Parts: sequence; C-alpha cells; structure tokens
Amino acid sequence: MTTAPLLKIEDLRTYFYSRSKQAFIRSVDNVSLKIATGETLGVVGESGSGKSITALSVMGLISDGPGVISGKIGIKTDRVQKNLLHDLGDYVTVTKKDNKIMSVKKDVDGWQQRSESMMSRVRGKEIAMIFQNPKSSLNPFTTVGKQIAEAILLHTAITSEQEAKDRAIYWLDRVKIDSPRLRYENYPFGLSGGMCQRAMIAMALASEPSLLIADEPTTGLDATIQSKIVDLLAELKSELGVTTMLISHDISIISRLSDRVAVMYGGTVFECGPARDILAVDAAAKHPYTAALLTSIPSARNVREKGYLQAIEGDVLDTINIPAGCRFYSRCNRVTDTIREKCERHEPDLREIAPGHKVRCWLYFE
Amino acid sequence: MKLSAIRPIALVLSREMAITLLLLLGVSFVVFIILYLSPGDPFSALLEGQLSSGESPSGAHEVLGVPPSWYARYLSWLANLLQGNFGTSIRTGMPVLGEVLRVGINTLILTLGSMLVTLLIAVPIALYSVVRGINKISWPLTMFAYVVSALPVFWLGYIVIYFFTHKLGLFPLAFGYATTSTKFGWLYALLPIFVLGVGNGTISEVIRSLRDEMGRVMAEDYIRTARAKGASVWKHSFKEGLLIPVTEIVAAKIPFILGGAVIVEQVFNWPGMGRMAWQAAQDRDYPVIMGIAILAAVFVRLGSLFQSVVYVAVNPRASKE
Repeated sequence: MTTAPLLKIEDLRTYFYSRSKQAFIRSVDNVSLKIATGETLGVVGESGSGKSITALSVMGLISDGPGVISGKIGIKTDRVQKNLLHDLGDYVTVTKKDNKIMSVKKDVDGWQQRSESMMSRVRGKEIAMIFQNPKSSLNPFTTVGKQIAEAILLHTAITSEQEAKDRAIYWLDRVKIDSPRLRYENYPFGLSGGMCQRAMIAMALASEPSLLIADEPTTGLDATIQSKIVDLLAELKSELGVTTMLISHDISIISRLSDRVAVMYGGTVFECGPARDILAVDAAAKHPYTAALLTSIPSARNVREKGYLQAIEGDVLDTINIPAGCRFYSRCNRVTDTIREKCERHEPDLREIAPGHKVRCWLYFE
Repeated sequence: MKLSAIRPIALVLSREMAITLLLLLGVSFVVFIILYLSPGDPFSALLEGQLSSGESPSGAHEVLGVPPSWYARYLSWLANLLQGNFGTSIRTGMPVLGEVLRVGINTLILTLGSMLVTLLIAVPIALYSVVRGINKISWPLTMFAYVVSALPVFWLGYIVIYFFTHKLGLFPLAFGYATTSTKFGWLYALLPIFVLGVGNGTISEVIRSLRDEMGRVMAEDYIRTARAKGASVWKHSFKEGLLIPVTEIVAAKIPFILGGAVIVEQVFNWPGMGRMAWQAAQDRDYPVIMGIAILAAVFVRLGSLFQSVVYVAVNPRASKE
C-alpha cells in the first residue's frame, strides 16, 4: 500500500483482571490491523474473540481495569498522524517473565485523564461508532432528532440550532427513515429496532467522521430488518465511501460489505487479507480456523455437501489460560505430524503468504 | 413547553390532587380519633387546679357549645373546615389558620434549607464516588458522611449551640426572632438549618441511592453512545441519574425531615410548626393540633406532587401511560 493507512493498530493489548480467578483475561492480545482510506475492513470471529474490545480500545471506551496496556493506535487526521496511545508508557509498568506478562501496574486515573483529553478531539469527529442493540444505545429521555443535531453541533461547522435540525432531518432521510420531519420529534421508545439503528447510523455519519466503527450493527434485530440494515450500509458505502471497520460474527454480512477481512480468535488476528481470498470457499491457502468457520455457516451449499451442518469442535479459547503454542491447537483438525511440535510449543506469527494476505499458522511456513 | 407536554402533567396534577384530598380527610380523621381517645382535655389542662375534683368538664362543653358525641364534633370541625374555618386556638383565642400558616412558613424555610444543605453535601460525594470509584478520597468522605448522618439531631444541636453560642458567642440563642430584627439576622438562621441538614439522617441515604442510580445509568448503553460521539456524559445522564432519583428521595424523606424539624425547633427556639405542635399537644389545644396535622400532611403531599410532576415532565414514556 502506497499511502499511509487511515487507522493503524499495532500490537494492541487490552487486558482485564478477573478477581475470582486471580488472573488476567487477555481479551485483546497483540492485535495489529490496518484500514486504508475508503476501504471497509470486516473483523470476524466468534464471541469472545476480542473484536468489540479492539473497537472499544480504539475509542478509548474501556473503563474496567487495567484496560489497554500497550500498543499503538495511529490515526491520520488532516494529514497529521496521531498515536492515540501516545505517552501510554508513562502510566503502565509491565512485568514480563518468559515473554509472558505476569503483572501490570497502571495508574488508571492518570491514564484515563490523559486518554480523555486525547480522545475528546477524536470521538465523534474522527471516529464515530454504532453499536449492537440500537434501542438501548439511544438516550430514551431525548428525541432522536435532538441527539443527531447534538452530534452535528459538536463536530461540524454548523452552529445554528435551526440549521442543525435541517441537517439532522437530511440525514434521517438519507438513512431512509420515512417522514423524517415527524421522526425528528420521536423518542427512541416510539421507534422500532431497525429505525433506531438507522437513526444511530444517521447520528454517526452526521458528524462526518473519517472512520466509522460498526460493532455488530445487525445483532439484536429481526432477520428481515438485518438484511435491510446491511442494504443501507452497502448503499452508504458506495455513495459516501465511508471508511468502515465492520465487526460481526456473521460471515454473510462481512462478505457482503468488506474489502478486506481480519479473522480474530482468542484475542488475536489469525488471518487478514482481501475479502475475496479469505472468504472464497475454494481458496487454497487459508487458516484452518477460517476454513472451519466457513464450513460452519448454515448455507444451502454446506448442508448439501455434507448432509449436516459442521460445527467447530471444542469451545472458544478462554483468554485467561492462553497456551504457549498456537491458540487454536486444541481444536485444530489439520495438525500434521511434521508441525505438531511447533504448534504445541510455539505461537506462530502473522506472516505474509501472498501479497496483502497474512496468516498465523505453521502449515504455511517453511 | 408545548401543549402536548403540558397535558400529561395536568393529568398527573389532577390525579394527585384527588389523592391528596382523600388523604387529608383520612389524616384529619385519624388524628381526631387519637386526640379523642387520649386522656385529658383542653379545659382541664387550661384550668388545672381551678376545677374542683368532682366537677366534670361537660358543663364547660355545654356552655361553649361543644357537641356531646365524638362524631358530631368531628363533623362540625369538618363542616367549618370546608368553609375555610380552622377554628380558634383554645389557648390563645387566635384563629388557627393564620397562626399555623405563620409558623408553617418558618418550618418551610427550615426544612427546605436543610434539604438544600443535605443535597449540597451528599450529591458531590455521590457523584465523585461514581466517577472515581472507591479511592483514598471517596471512601473516607463517604464514611464521614455516614457517621455524621447517624448523629442524633438533638445532640448535634446542643453541641453546635455549646460551641457557637456558648464558647464563641457567634450566634444568639433566640434564632427565630433574630431572623426579623436586624439586617443580617437571617445569617443566624443558617445554624439550625445546617444542623437539621446534617443531622436529619438522609445524607447517607441520598449518597447511597444516588451512587447506585448514577452508577447504573453510567453503565447504560446510551451513555456509552454519548461518550462515543464526544458528547457530555453528564448532560446525558442528568435526567435519569440525578434529577429523578434526587426528587424521589427528597419527596420520600419529607416526613422524616419534618420530624427532625420538631426537635431542631425546640433546641433552637425556632418559631415553627414543630414547636407550636409541641405546645399545643401539652395544652390539648385540639384545633391547633388538627391544623398542624393538616398542614404537615399538605407539605408531604406537595413533595410527592412535585416528584410526580418532575417524573412525568422528564420521562417521555411516563406521559404515554
């Protein structure tokens, strides 16, 4: 890639502390991702793979301790590259043993203050975010329209209330809400889940951010509404060219909207590359986990070929006890005798196996 | 405010008014029965030692036109009340309504002021501990507030008087009269207001309920949305996290604060309802006691009326009921 990416996450680690188990939950463990301007990156993985926590870390919205402990989150704003985790090291002391993090000391208050002052110029303005469960994500005590107008007044050049209202109505219309002028006055409880998500999208886009993070935007909606929201996102993508980080466990949504895909498992990225290479059913080189994930999609083709729906054996890795070797080793069905020892003992790194296509698996390394 | 917003408020108001009327009727009846059943009567209290032992007070009743049966007495009191006549004090001969309103204002100043003191202490502590969690500042502050609000108000009152009036000579003993006499006389009123505000026992409850409510609201999805769009978290959490719980707890605590006011008025010579009620109870001054009971009930109802109006005005869902 010739131009610098819009968002560049490097070696991000976000941990939580489990009091009951006296151990760290390594929700995000060494994640690196890049999103170029104008592209949609689909982040896919099972529940608990660290997708949402990655997104919340980017937004600085992690409030439980210790939270983000290391890494870089670079974002390009007005030609200036900014690291959202700049000076993070001043607040965190990490003790390592055998390359594993044993303890973390973090000045949470200091870090929080530092992060808030940094993020106040980024949230909404540079990065906007939409969430799952749109009904509870909108403030029930304020009209939908006012919430959109608030984002406009905060982040755009518009300063007059009336103009902000007109602009909010324009956005309500843009996300295909019927009679936007009437809906402007509605409270969230008067709208359906699908309409609330449309309003959320309108609110996110109304502040004209350079990056949109959509965290499971269709989860919690009816199936028919889901496909309509996906249609809307696809349309907005082609019309506005918004750079998007799309997080979902639903591969059909990811494959519909993404230019590039990152597959996450156990808090780290297993594979990333162009969507057509990774999600194509017949592509030869792909991570065993990605392959297993694809055959577990309840599609007509998968069922026809096997006569039943293939599920991935075993449980999702709990990110408290991360094994020394590959995180997927215990569930992997493609371990060969030649690489077995490496799989068990050493964690593979993310290596490029084709232009722009990286995989974290010993199968593809010489 | 638009007409559509006023309609639900008017509805709530009229419903609350109807409940208030029934409640006042109930209160007056119960208080009347208690007074009737309790020993002693105003004449033997007033004429103590002047009646010969065998003489019954029924003669005096007859002369003064007091109906013989209890229900007739209640009904005649009620009939007078409906005409706006609260009767006259047996002790002073003054009309009850004027007297009770005069002292009622003083009590209102005392209770509203003390509520303000309570909130000024409790709200910052609660909000601070929501934001920062339990730390080196919030924990001792909360503990201190809990201990302080467990102090009995009469004890606190006497300690404060001993210190400020006796030792430092800063405040006079007769607070009530000080409020009217000089230009800065109102300053003297601050001491009893402060004592009741600290000692009425509600600080700890305000802290606890506000911390729980605000903490719950802060974890709501819509607050996360507000943060994600760079908006003020306080602006978005204000209605559900602060306004509604504060009005709720203030309304619920009015009876307790009024109870505390009775004691503080005694301790500080504050010419309020509590003091008058105390005096009237000793004199068996029935019309005054009834008047004060009614006024106290009105205060309590006004509190919950205020709470309902705020709740309906703030919460769009409530107005759809």
